Amino acid sequence: MQNVMRRILPALLVFVAACSGGDAPPVVVANVEVTPPRPGAGMSAGYLDITNNSREPLVITHVTSPEFGKVELHETTVEDGVARMRPLDSLVVPPGETVVLERGGKHLMLMRPVDTPDAVTLSLYSGETLVVSVETPVRREP
Amino acid sequence: MNRLIAIIVLVVGIAAGLLLAVGRGGPDEPAAEVPRAATVLPEPVPLPEFSLVDQRGETRTRAFFTGAWHLLFFGFTNCPDVCPTTLATLSTVTKTLRDQGATDVPGIVLVSVDPERDTPTRLAEYIAYFGADNAALTGNETAVRELTEPLGIYFSKVPLGDDDYTVDHSSVVLLVNPAGEFAALFSGPLEVSDLVHDLPLLTGAS
Repeated sequence: MQNVMRRILPALLVFVAACSGGDAPPVVVANVEVTPPRPGAGMSAGYLDITNNSREPLVITHVTSPEFGKVELHETTVEDGVARMRPLDSLVVPPGETVVLERGGKHLMLMRPVDTPDAVTLSLYSGETLVVSVETPVRREP
Repeated sequence: MNRLIAIIVLVVGIAAGLLLAVGRGGPDEPAAEVPRAATVLPEPVPLPEFSLVDQRGETRTRAFFTGAWHLLFFGFTNCPDVCPTTLATLSTVTKTLRDQGATDVPGIVLVSVDPERDTPTRLAEYIAYFGADNAALTGNETAVRELTEPLGIYFSKVPLGDDDYTVDHSSVVLLVNPAGEFAALFSGPLEVSDLVHDLPLLTGAS
């Protein structure tokens, strides 16, 4: 039962966020993946697709997670064989478009894990407004 | 960096020449299997002399690389994306090769480009997560540069504010032969299938 809920809950949360109206634009989050905190520095990475179905640009300003002390928006670029990682001030999803957070590109950097979580909740904010919350099981690797 | 680019240009030129030569072969001649992703050096380059410590705190020199093949990657434990993705890929590759019964499967060695934060203790926890046989090297920055600079490997500390920083670094993976020589490199996005294909060709293993 717990496993079933774990599968259903993320989809349910996205659905609720998309239908809740108010100030939140209709947003769909998919392909959510959070890596375990790697031993040593305790860093995790988060990857997801964010689709903005509204007619206004969606600006994600920050992300929080109860399982981590700090979450930042980052982008990796590889140019001339040199990998660079930089924080992003915000993430803009144009109307009708999807922004993909993926390995070697834009991603979430999750720091200071509270524990070794089995599941992680990510809450995406636009300023003070909670846009969407999603829970995902932590993927074991490699 | 310039030296690395020069090596790549030279190797690409030779590879193009080889391709032309292969292309002139008769239709009945089977084409020799060539690496898909690796750039092979025309002449292997001996690793420079260096002195670093491994994840157990033991001093390691160039001799550490003799007697077995190694895949050498440069990264740091505070890197959440490129470094763990690369190490997970390399670990999957070596596990796949072992499962296939391949011999001479390379060991994986991470050289820290953030020696200030990457102590042997931290590296021991980190590197074992990707495989019990993996190794990591660290030391002071000068000592790390004695290994990286002659190989054309770049790294540079970049402040992010709040006393935090990140490290820009070369993302290539070097293949080091059992003579302790830099023999080939993998650049660009690493695909497990490409490395599983290329490594037995390069190490002469089956």
